[in-house]
Amino acid sequence: MGFLNNTTVTVDAILTKKGRELLAQGSNAFNITKFALADDEVDYKLFDVTHPNGSEQYGAVIENMPLLEAFADENHVMRYKLVTLPKNTQKMPIISVQPATVHFTAGAGLVQPPITVAPSTANVSDNSYTFILHDQTITTMVVQNPAGGQGGGGATTPFFLGDDDAPNSKTLVAKSVRLQVKPLAASAGTSSKSTQLTIVGNDTGATISITVKNSVVLGTGNQTLFP
Amino acid sequence: MAIYKEFDIQPQNSAESGDVISNIKDIVSSGMWAEGAASITTFFTSSVQSGSSGDYYLDVYSSDTATDTQAKPQFSVAYGHFNGSGSLGRSGITGNRAAASIYRQLSQTLLGPGEDQFTFAGSGAHIKPKYVYAISVSRQQLREKMDPGNWELKIGTRRFIDDSGATTNPAVNQGGRVFNIVSGSIQSGTAVIKHTATEQFGGAYGLFYPDLGMLVFNGPIINTSASLGTVTTINTLGGNNDKFVAKIKTGAYFQSRREEVVTSQHYFCRVPNKEFNFSSNPTFATASDGSFTQATFFKNPKTFITQVGLYNDAGELLAVAKLSKPLLKSYSREAIIKVKLDF
Repeated sequence: MGFLNNTTVTVDAILTKKGRELLAQGSNAFNITKFALADDEVDYKLFDVTHPNGSEQYGAVIENMPLLEAFADENHVMRYKLVTLPKNTQKMPIISVQPATVHFTAGAGLVQPPITVAPSTANVSDNSYTFILHDQTITTMVVQNPAGGQGGGGATTPFFLGDDDAPNSKTLVAKSVRLQVKPLAASAGTSSKSTQLTIVGNDTGATISITVKNSVVLGTGNQTLFP
Repeated sequence: MAIYKEFDIQPQNSAESGDVISNIKDIVSSGMWAEGAASITTFFTSSVQSGSSGDYYLDVYSSDTATDTQAKPQFSVAYGHFNGSGSLGRSGITGNRAAASIYRQLSQTLLGPGEDQFTFAGSGAHIKPKYVYAISVSRQQLREKMDPGNWELKIGTRRFIDDSGATTNPAVNQGGRVFNIVSGSIQSGTAVIKHTATEQFGGAYGLFYPDLGMLVFNGPIINTSASLGTVTTINTLGGNNDKFVAKIKTGAYFQSRREEVVTSQHYFCRVPNKEFNFSSNPTFATASDGSFTQATFFKNPKTFITQVGLYNDAGELLAVAKLSKPLLKSYSREAIIKVKLDF
């Protein structure tokens, strides 16, 4: 005779910074309606299909690892979400984006046209994407093609950003966005600045990051300087 | 295909079962002192604090502030005199009249409108004394309230408790606001009172305000009982705060619990067998074409849940819970994760 394993697990949650902010605004602003699961910290390369004790033990190394406590910063948790896909899925969704990098050259100055960033998801489709511009002092980002006919709202950034990045970051939800050149303030030794644009598929959780570089530096009299 | 799962939210009075249970209230009690300790046996003051505001009150620490830079005040003691005797100054004479300020501050805070002097139980000459000693537990240690019936303070050689009778029943006297301080002990697990407040000759030892974390001692009675040597001379700095702290140091024992009501919500995250079996983790699939890094995952994927995120409709992450270790999920496994969120 054995005891049945009831699989209910009880865990204590902590409020994120965003959660605390909304709770402070009143109970109506704080309204949890859905959940997601994530597997941050897990490296699936540790899944050992050659384990001598057989298939039951393939994931033993992962299952036995201790986990860190939760962070209150929502940018550092729930990075890799679990996804529901058909059982016979052979390949995981992958986001590809053109152009693979964005560079506003000094030669084209401030008159160069905006660049549209329109990602697509291979293997499985995404209806919309979350665009996270880590430093909006380098370029402006606006919605080109809204998600579901609506404007680009600001979800909490579901991807790793450092504390230094967060105040300058901008998050949009859309199908595609438009990047526009922005003059950089002249300072000693500055010929260009770069940042990352992270794109997250809102249905698949797939992510990709591209580099955005700006070499348009203004000098005195608002003249474009050429390096 | 999804990464979010909506909660089934039913109205609170609905007969239907839902995924969210709101407004669950639990009374949580814990040791009141630093790091949840139930008692303090060593007491220290800070020369920095006593040098600046020591005439009014003294902060008392459970560790030496000279060696422990993280030490925080556990409680404060203060001497108050209705007319200000035992401190510098009087009407028409320069001085802060610290003892009068403290007494009036206490009476304004703890007594009803129109009352300006503390009245203690018992009989005799000191049921309405001119001076009192007070202990005020620091906000950080008190949190919500001091647990009636579950504290004991030794001053000199005498032990004091309250007469709430609530040692083993925390629900007793929920609506009560003030109890008498009596001579006795709770070391046996229940309150053993030597003399009730009304039996106390000369006047009861003091009053205990659990919701404010304050103990107000009958000055003349505690002065005699603990041999404090209180100075009540007009326009004279008596150092009475130091004398009271010295006797608390001699007693070397202050046991207390605190109580707070924690409101929580429970979220039942139901994870059916066909859901959440794939991962966007970069080690789950190759970056080049998305094929699985483990070939055995085809038609038999396995994921490991490490955390649960709670979101609002706008997709904003409001709360997060971590599991103690990864939980295996596959097409042959289901799980219910109950997430408890305290407010």
